[in-house]
Amino acid sequence: MFDRRWIYLLVALAVIFPLIVPATFKVHITPEARQLFDAIEALPDSSIVMLTFDYYPSTLAETEPISVAALHHLFRKDCRVLTMTTIPLGGPSIAERVTRALAKEHGKVYGVDYVNLGFKYNYVAVLKGMGTSIEAIYPMDNSSTPLSELPMMESIRNYDDISFIFVVSDNAIVDYWISIVNAEYATPVGIGVTAVSAPKYYAFISSGQVTGLLGGMKGAAEYERLVKAEGMALKGMAMQSLVHLLIIALVIIGNIGFFASRRARRRATA
Amino acid sequence: MSGIEILQIWVAAFFTLAIFSFLYKDNPFFKLAEHVFAGLSAGYYVGLVWKSIILQQLWYPMMAGEWLLVFPAMLGALMFARLVPKISWVSRVSLAFVMGTTAGVFLVSQLNGMILPQMQATMLPLVLSEGAGATLMALVMVIGVISTLIYFYFSKEHTGALGVTAKVGVWFIMIAFGAHFGYTVMARVSLLIGRVNFLYEDWLGTFLLIF
Repeated sequence: MFDRRWIYLLVALAVIFPLIVPATFKVHITPEARQLFDAIEALPDSSIVMLTFDYYPSTLAETEPISVAALHHLFRKDCRVLTMTTIPLGGPSIAERVTRALAKEHGKVYGVDYVNLGFKYNYVAVLKGMGTSIEAIYPMDNSSTPLSELPMMESIRNYDDISFIFVVSDNAIVDYWISIVNAEYATPVGIGVTAVSAPKYYAFISSGQVTGLLGGMKGAAEYERLVKAEGMALKGMAMQSLVHLLIIALVIIGNIGFFASRRARRRATA
Repeated sequence: MSGIEILQIWVAAFFTLAIFSFLYKDNPFFKLAEHVFAGLSAGYYVGLVWKSIILQQLWYPMMAGEWLLVFPAMLGALMFARLVPKISWVSRVSLAFVMGTTAGVFLVSQLNGMILPQMQATMLPLVLSEGAGATLMALVMVIGVISTLIYFYFSKEHTGALGVTAKVGVWFIMIAFGAHFGYTVMARVSLLIGRVNFLYEDWLGTFLLIF
């Protein structure tokens, strides 16, 4: 019986090899990634954009590069960024860490150029409530500063004042951003999701409910290329491609083995 | 990099390797990592609920004069009646409230935000002015939707024209499964890349600082 641990070893080697011998793989830009980039690019400078950190630490490898690339783009365009999360476990601290690091790099000031609202329980109530008043849902930001003391929040009451919502998520909360926020308040929603959930959301691109889609590390790599900010995702594509080639080879070998053994069995019984 | 940051990286590296060790076989290091994760998550949630719900959304606003919050607080307290079998039925009042409001909210949002726009997006003209490619895509979408729906129509035996259409539906479903599986492989590999990259850059990087 073949020991599957040999496959684990091969996969590990395929991931480690490009780290030791760096290689670059060409990343093609999909129309969905281009659509998201163009939508942000078309926003007037200093527009208010909401960026969500709706993901757990377990999917950081896929989702954080999307948030980082999005922040590079938004800060370069001088957009004012409002961040929030519907994820209690890690969401607020990831948002704080990533946004502060990128803001420092781009010389942005907290409270003037960006605000982190943090986390609030009951996402359905939060998403619906912000349609009426963001301050009613989040009286204070993530650092317990009253929103009334933050200059950026003076001009933001509800979704009417937000030009675009960039949802980065690893779970089905995206459905509610689409069915509640986009459908009821007509605020454009662009999404960056994990690869597992990406196929589901292509239907929302076709229906026009979602403005652009980034799927997993590949989507993040595309956005990094579009905003010309090479990061973890572009670096990871070499490993990703090598493992995919390995898996394709294993699937072919497995199928050849299956058909060969079935043929041998049939011959033996004939 | 400070000493505490190096310690954090080493703790994270230890637990990453402990989880990966399961790929070889089950062992005490994996068990330890599993239990620590479960315990930490539970503790974190308790603290979070206390701070962000009990204090921030209930206690502080009530102290500031929002006394109407006493009603949701009472509904929440009723849930604890489940712990006493004789009066456990009382908790159904809270559950009925939650179910009623949830059904009300979701009925509208699902119909308005999911079902109707998706149906509308499927009702396409079969001949499009954008060219043969767009027409072909529209045809594929309409045939895919109809044949897949027919596959899930169980009130009549799948024979004859109905059977052929259902078979076409199965092909569409299989292609969708294939796309999902491909994306799932990519997602899992991405997570592995993230961890390996952490071990290679962050953890091995601390060796240069220490030694």
